[in-house]
Amino acid sequence: MTSNKLAGLTRFKMVEIVGPFIVVSVLSISVGLLSASLQLAVQFALCNLVMVLALQVFIGNSGVLSFGHGAFAMIGAWVSGMSTASERVKGNALALEDLWQPLISWNLNLYVSIIFAMLAGGLVAAISGAFLMRLNGLAAGIATFAILGLFYNFFFNNTKLGPGSQALPAVPKFSGVFEPLLLATIAMILVYSLNVSSIGRKLRATREDLMSAPALGISTQKVRWIAFTLSGALAGLSGGMYVHVAGTWQVQDYYLVFTFLTLAMLVIGGSASMWGAVVGTLVVTAVGQVLLLWEQGKSLLGVKIDLPNGARSLIIAATLVGMLLWRSSGLTNGREFKLRQSNKK
Amino acid sequence: MQSILDAISLGGTYALAALGLGLVFGVLRLVNFAHAELITISAYIMVVTNDLPLILSFLLAALASTLLAIVTELTVYRRLRGTGPAIMLIASFGLSVGLQKSYELIFGALPRSAAVAPWMTGSVEIANLNMTISSLVTVALTIVILIAMGYLVDYTTLGLQLRAASSDFKTARLLGVRSNRLITSSFAISGVLAAFVGFIIVVENPQVEPMFGLNITILALVGIVIGGISSLRGCALGGFIVGFILSLLNTFLGNARVYAYSYLFLAVVVILLVRPGGILSKRNEMERV
Repeated sequence: MTSNKLAGLTRFKMVEIVGPFIVVSVLSISVGLLSASLQLAVQFALCNLVMVLALQVFIGNSGVLSFGHGAFAMIGAWVSGMSTASERVKGNALALEDLWQPLISWNLNLYVSIIFAMLAGGLVAAISGAFLMRLNGLAAGIATFAILGLFYNFFFNNTKLGPGSQALPAVPKFSGVFEPLLLATIAMILVYSLNVSSIGRKLRATREDLMSAPALGISTQKVRWIAFTLSGALAGLSGGMYVHVAGTWQVQDYYLVFTFLTLAMLVIGGSASMWGAVVGTLVVTAVGQVLLLWEQGKSLLGVKIDLPNGARSLIIAATLVGMLLWRSSGLTNGREFKLRQSNKK
Repeated sequence: MQSILDAISLGGTYALAALGLGLVFGVLRLVNFAHAELITISAYIMVVTNDLPLILSFLLAALASTLLAIVTELTVYRRLRGTGPAIMLIASFGLSVGLQKSYELIFGALPRSAAVAPWMTGSVEIANLNMTISSLVTVALTIVILIAMGYLVDYTTLGLQLRAASSDFKTARLLGVRSNRLITSSFAISGVLAAFVGFIIVVENPQVEPMFGLNITILALVGIVIGGISSLRGCALGGFIVGFILSLLNTFLGNARVYAYSYLFLAVVVILLVRPGGILSKRNEMERV
């Protein structure tokens, strides 16, 4: 990031939050009406959007890499899935035989469970962040990755608290795109509010210059911790949504592929702005959907290209690398949404 | 005794992987996730060319991984130089996934297997102790490579330039170190090291699939960070520690061995909190990453 274009230098502007909201909701609702499979794709995209927003608020503002957010999504999804799956299924399903008794009778309303998912993600982030936020650069990246690895390894092997390597089935699903859309909107508002708040500014100051920021009276560790906690709560929310879209909880869903895909979305869109997170999610999802059609041998608007299985992820990975080569600050170049190009700085 | 030998040989393998990563990091400040795919390609080549004599098959594998390392440097990393470590890290992440998917298209998603160097899976009795040949060979090979690397880094011009560049790249350039040539060489060496690692693992585990090299690379990354990324010794030591501990945990945890990674990752977090610059770092050294 060069210093002459301070990315994310924002004051509150109504259009920067209303614009993305309109784009996301119009697209979600109109595409969701086309077919049942597209509606499901929209629901997944909205879960990813919340995750990418979570990554943006921390990584984008602080410049510190985190590979650990998958863990917060995992725990959020676990809370929300485990507390809403039916008692009968939890008691009977083969893989859950030695499930801890209180978990079987744990029964929450779907919406309440999502609030709990957020709290759980935020809590785990707050606790781990209290220790990790003094790390920088690579050490932070590896330490957060260690958190992800730890949670994955634990849940993958533990059958007392979850289904282990199996799936927890029969989690109730959202009825349409409205619920995830509402939750994604809440996430956008939260992220944008933090970005334009004094904490957001302070955090970006530490990103630009780790040495001078403390000289201005900014506690790097404190502002990072606040953003990390919020970001963890949003990741928990994303997990809580994901489990009600997929209808099942499986630990693999929140591991490397998920981490890669959401990070790619963030970087492709531009990590320095909320609009970047939105654009990245939309573009990668759209490209992914088109490629999926071609992979399945269907045609899109008369264009039919036969892609072998696996070509989709290859193209997304190549897009990511190409984007970094072409424009390392992403499609939005770190700008927030605006209606037309103005020459004012 | 066999478990100690196993731990040493696993530690040695991880040390080699960590050294390859550390070499590139030293000159470029790049954490090369795609190192995993260098290991994978060499393993694939060894399996595919298993009918050839072992030495020839290995040479082909080493050639492939070295070429791949150089190509990634020329096409991607060279053009990203100066964008900062976070961008390069994410690029290498993308490159890694992209290469995995390419392998899936080329070699198929299912594992390819062949018995590479079957004589190594046997065991010998030395002083009443039963030891597998592969772990003896691994230990011997590691020692030889580490000594060779030590010689290269400490006594050759290239090594001098590597050390100069990793302590201060700009000044090294000003003093006449040719940066492009140096960086390409370090990629090449890391490719050769990756081929050795690929060879060692493919003997023990002949099932090569697209994500073959991922696990060891992630753990070697963990190793270089806890060992001290700013020195090659730290990298090798860190890699060794991770492999050694993991192997011992696997032996002594009994039924709880499935949680070995949990303990390892917990240890990593603790070590990083106590010594953010790694075990071998000097206490007050400012972090440069």
